[in-house]
Parts: sequence; C-alpha cells; structure tokens
Amino acid sequence: MKKLLCMLLTAAALLSLCVAPAMAEDAAEINMFIASPEYADAVNELIAAYKEVAPNVTINYETTQNDYPTLLKTRINAGMTPDIFSTTSGKEIADYAEYSYNFASEPAAQAMDPAVAAMMAYGDGEIHGFALKGNYFGMLYNKAIFEEVGIEFPKTLDEFEAACEKLTEAGYQPVTTGFAEWWVFKHVMQHFLDAATDDPAALVAAFQKGEAHFADYPELYDNFFRFIDLCVKYGDNKPLETDLAGEDSAFGVGKAAMMIGQGAWVEADVLAIDDALQIGFAGYPVCDDPAKSQIIGGSDQALRINKDSANLQAVLDFVNWWYTSDYGKAWFCDVAGVIPPVTDAKVADMQIIKQGAELSQTDGAAALSICYSSDSFNQAMGEAIQAYIGGSIDKDACCAQIEAKWVELDGPAA
Amino acid sequence: MDKRPMSPMDRKALKDTLLFTLPAVVMVLIAIYIPFVMSGYYSLTEWNGISRNPQFIGLANFKTIFSSGSPEFVNALVFTFKYSILFIILSNVIALALAVALTRKFRLANFLRGMFFLPYIMSMTIVGFIWKFIFTQGFEKLYELTGWGVWNLSWLGDGRLAFFSLVLVGTWQSLGFYIVLYIAGLQAIPTEVLEAASIDGANGSQRFFKVVLPLLGPSITTCMFMSLTNSLKVFDIILALTKGGPGGATYSATLDIYREAFQNNNYGLGSAKAIVFFVIVLILTQVVLKVFESREVKQ
Repeated sequence: MKKLLCMLLTAAALLSLCVAPAMAEDAAEINMFIASPEYADAVNELIAAYKEVAPNVTINYETTQNDYPTLLKTRINAGMTPDIFSTTSGKEIADYAEYSYNFASEPAAQAMDPAVAAMMAYGDGEIHGFALKGNYFGMLYNKAIFEEVGIEFPKTLDEFEAACEKLTEAGYQPVTTGFAEWWVFKHVMQHFLDAATDDPAALVAAFQKGEAHFADYPELYDNFFRFIDLCVKYGDNKPLETDLAGEDSAFGVGKAAMMIGQGAWVEADVLAIDDALQIGFAGYPVCDDPAKSQIIGGSDQALRINKDSANLQAVLDFVNWWYTSDYGKAWFCDVAGVIPPVTDAKVADMQIIKQGAELSQTDGAAALSICYSSDSFNQAMGEAIQAYIGGSIDKDACCAQIEAKWVELDGPAA
Repeated sequence: MDKRPMSPMDRKALKDTLLFTLPAVVMVLIAIYIPFVMSGYYSLTEWNGISRNPQFIGLANFKTIFSSGSPEFVNALVFTFKYSILFIILSNVIALALAVALTRKFRLANFLRGMFFLPYIMSMTIVGFIWKFIFTQGFEKLYELTGWGVWNLSWLGDGRLAFFSLVLVGTWQSLGFYIVLYIAGLQAIPTEVLEAASIDGANGSQRFFKVVLPLLGPSITTCMFMSLTNSLKVFDIILALTKGGPGGATYSATLDIYREAFQNNNYGLGSAKAIVFFVIVLILTQVVLKVFESREVKQ
C-alpha cells in the first residue's frame, strides 16, 4: 500500500515537472482587488471575455462591500499590493502616488474621457488612474408627481420652496434626504461650492489653508444652509435616521417627489421598487440664477495600477484592451450599464444617464469638486452638518467646525 | 517547590505541557502581542498608514492628545464611560433577576434559558442590522398601528436617544452570557445554607439579600469584570447601528481610534490614542477587580 502511494506521488511530481514549464510560458496572474461590489457580475463577465483574448492570463478578482480602504492599506503594508486597486479620484491620487503607475502614454489614457482623466491627473501631465465608470450627480424627481401637481422642476431656491409648498398641499412628501449618510452632504455641498466660485479647486485649496471662510460666500453660508433647512422642513419625518435605503424606498414607492444627495447609481434600485417610475434628473437649485442649476459629471472612483507589479505588462495589456477594444468599450454600456469613462462609446439606455448626457450638452456640467477634498474631511463635514440638523450646534458653529476640519485633515500640515 | 530531581514522568509532563500550549502561544503572539508592540512603535511615529516610511517623532502624538488637541477623543472617552456605567448596571441587575427566575422549576425554564442566550451567539453586526431595521421600519409601523408618540421618536437620529438605543441593544445582546454565569453561581450555593436560613425565620427577600447575594460574590466579580471590559471595548454595535452618528454623538473610544487611524489616515496618532486607552482600561479593570474581590465572602 505504502509503496503504491510512493509511486503515485513520484509519478505526480514528475508529471508536474514536465507540465509546469509549458504552462509558465507567458502565463501571468493579475491580482485585482477593487471596491464597487455592485459591479461584481459585470466585472466577472469582462474577465471571462478577456480569458478568450489572452488565455494565459489569470485574473484573480476580489471585491468587498465594507471597509475597502482599510483592507487595502493592510495589504499594501503587508507587501501584497494588488496589481489593480481602487482609491477615490482627486486628492487620493496623490496619497497613493508612490504605489501607482503613470500610464499617460498608454492607449487607455488616450481613450479616456477628458472629464474623467482630469480627476486622475497627478503632477505634470501624469495619469495615475482609470475609471470603471463615469458618473452623474444631481437631484432626482418623480416626473409623474410634478406633472400631476402641475409644476416645473425648480431651478432657484425660491422656486424650490414654492414647489415644496405645492407638493405638500397635494399630499406628497416633497423631498427625501438620506441625511443619516455622511456622504449625502458632500454630494449636495459640491453643487453649492461650484456655484460660489468659477474655480472650485482654488476655493477648496484656500479653505484647506484656512484662508477662506463660509461667511464670505453667500452661496455657502446662506444658500446651502437654506437648502438644508428646507430639506429638513419638507423632508423625512426622522431626517437623521433616513439612510440610502430609506431614501430609495420613499422615492421608489412614489411617496417623496424629490431625492437629494444621489445620482445615476440609484436608478436600478428605485426601478426595482417600481419599474414604471418616471425619473427626472436635474441640477440643484443653488441660488437665484437658474443657469447655475447644473448637474455634475465625472468619476469619483479611480482604479490604479501597481507600478511594482510583477506582471506590469500583462496588467497594461488588460487595461488597454478594456479601454480600447470593441468589447471593452461596449461593456460599459451593455454589461455594466454605467456611463462610459471613454470617448466614442455608446450610452446606456437608462433614464438618468440619458438625461445627464443631454443636460451636460445643453446646460453644461459643473466640476466634481468633492474630489478636491479627502473623504476623511468629507466625513467630518457630514458629521458637522448632521450635528447642525440635530440642533446640537448652530450654523456659525457648524461653519467653524467645517473650516477647522478642512485645515486639520486636508491642510498643508496634514 | 520541592527539590527532588525531575523524574522521567515529570519531564514528559513538562514536555507535553510545552508542546500542547505552543500552538496557542504562537497564535496569541501573532494576533495580540506582536501587533501590540508594533502599535507601541507606531504611536511614536507620524504615519498615514499608506506610505512606506513612518517618520519617528518621539512623544509628539501623546503631547497632541494631552494638550487638548483632541476634544473628540475626550468626548469619546466620556461617551464610553457613560455607556459602560449604564451597561454594567443594566446587564448585571437584569441578568441576576432573570437568573433567579430561571433557576426556579417551571415548565418553560429550559426553553427560556435558550431564548435569552440566543442573541449572544449571533454576530454583533447582525444584531445591529436587525435592530436598525426595528428602530427605523419597525417603529414606524408600530406608530401607524398604535399612534403612541414613543414609536415616533427618532431613536437613532437623535444623539441623546441614540445613546440609550445603543445601551438597550448592547444589553439585550449580551444578557444571555451574564444569565448563564449567574445561574451557575446560584446553583453552586448549597441548599443547606438556604434551608438553615428558612428555619431561622428568614423571609424570601432576607434570604436573597443576606444569604444568596453575598454567596454569589465570585459570580458578581466575574460578571462585573466581564461587563466592564466588554462595555469599554464597545465597537461593532455602534458601527452597525449609528456609525458614530448622528453628528458624531455616539463615538466610543475604540471607534474614535479607528476613525483616527483609518479614516483620517493618522495611524500614528491613532496608535497613541490606543495606548492611552489601553492604560486607562488596565487601571480601571484592576481597581474594579480588587474592590469586588475584597468584598467577597469566603466560603
């Protein structure tokens, strides 16, 4: 018995010796550990399609819903930096620059949508990331309710208040807010930030140096807080308890007429509640000027290539294929159902994406200014505004707290 | 220790002991002591948790903590102590009362013991999500059905109420554990003592407060110690229920450390906070342990 086992093992060992070199020829493994678990199925399809193009390349794809940044840091510090990993775009591009490959000269970078590429830029013309998708941020509204009440979507704050009044009279909850989520505030705030200045990047930089103040910008100090107040007044019964799921259900069942702090990514969720929902998509009413009510486009998530990857060329080949091949370009729309982050790709047949694409043509899109700040700051800002809504601090204390956090977390000393 | 030379038997026993504890020792070293020493080092550095080279800055992080540079940490500590006090009182009193009830002989006693223990074997995160659903959707439905104002309060959306919600859920979840400890203690009390007390004319409450409670000393010490350390370490339930919100009103010390290290990318400062908190917990638990042990009745 023992002898037999011995022989079998030896045979197996010999066999593997013969087979291994044949397999190793231009075989490569790509470890891909990225956020955005909502696209897991689509990414798996992409990988399966790439297997046919490059059968020797194995892509180990992993994703997680929770706590991605912490897990990524753990791996980086353990010396197991994934070949492809995610961060947010904008400010975090610099934080992880020492690990990420500058692929500005690759075909993928040339194929990238300029608005997306701007968020991936680092230093002097370097491109340190690519996007899984473009995105649109704005307000969602229920077209059927607005038609029934007989009003247009408000483009100024006064119109917004009047619309809320009318919607209340008609028996609807005018807005649903999701104020339990800290990131809802950054999505709303960036529209007001863009309205306050022509150069939001410079304004944010000034805030981070402690040189700018809310009180000097009426769009922030007056309009933003007026908007928040109105949303609390005309919004959910328990504002600080309503999270994304709460928002989805209030809007999806047709109870609430408008939804704030969200964008293109909620369409599938609300349509799952009511597939006949007529979703309208528009910019926020930020001031008296209707022209300033714009949607925001761009990509807030970046995929990065590990510059010390053992199989750098294989990774680059994969990314170039993803961004430039016919299948890859069509994948964004046909499989993932997202806004393509590349130029000359077809647009998905979804209500928000179509209106977003149209609106950015007709009215223009504002800058994705959340990316000029870190998420650490954005979270602290969300908490400060939650405290304001909860009544534990007043407006001036809230502004002071946000200004202090901007310097503390994103300032030159941080 | 006697000084006779080790017999082969003894030597074998020693070898066995070493051999069998080795895997556990290695695991504990890897999972607890080595990271502990490492975070001790990181607390002396300025490091964002990402870059390759932590920068050694000596005790500057500790200076930041103690020179009022960290009001959030102080708030979190206050929150943690408030939570701990309420949690310890509630979980011990309720668990003791239930344990006394469940040691009586009645038909559903065993079934009820199981029911009370059930939440304890569930993951805290799951418990958190279940209760989040109850607090938001469940309470809303109850309000529609009954019209009682209490259901319409924002139990997770109001900073002060959220505190009580957390204590409530935390207590509910861990109650089973303390009940089991108290039941074991109650069953260890010799019946002769209780009978003697009855013959001497002690009534029910006298028997409980003058005989049972003092004899439960070791159980009470254990439960106090366990509930103290568990409540000081409270983390997952808050993460699942409020994430420290609304408006940062429910940050515990551990959650604040996590936020500092992983969200604010100040791994060094976070480690320093962790060390400070460790010292506080160490002192507190030792004091509590000593106080309760000294009051135990020696049987």
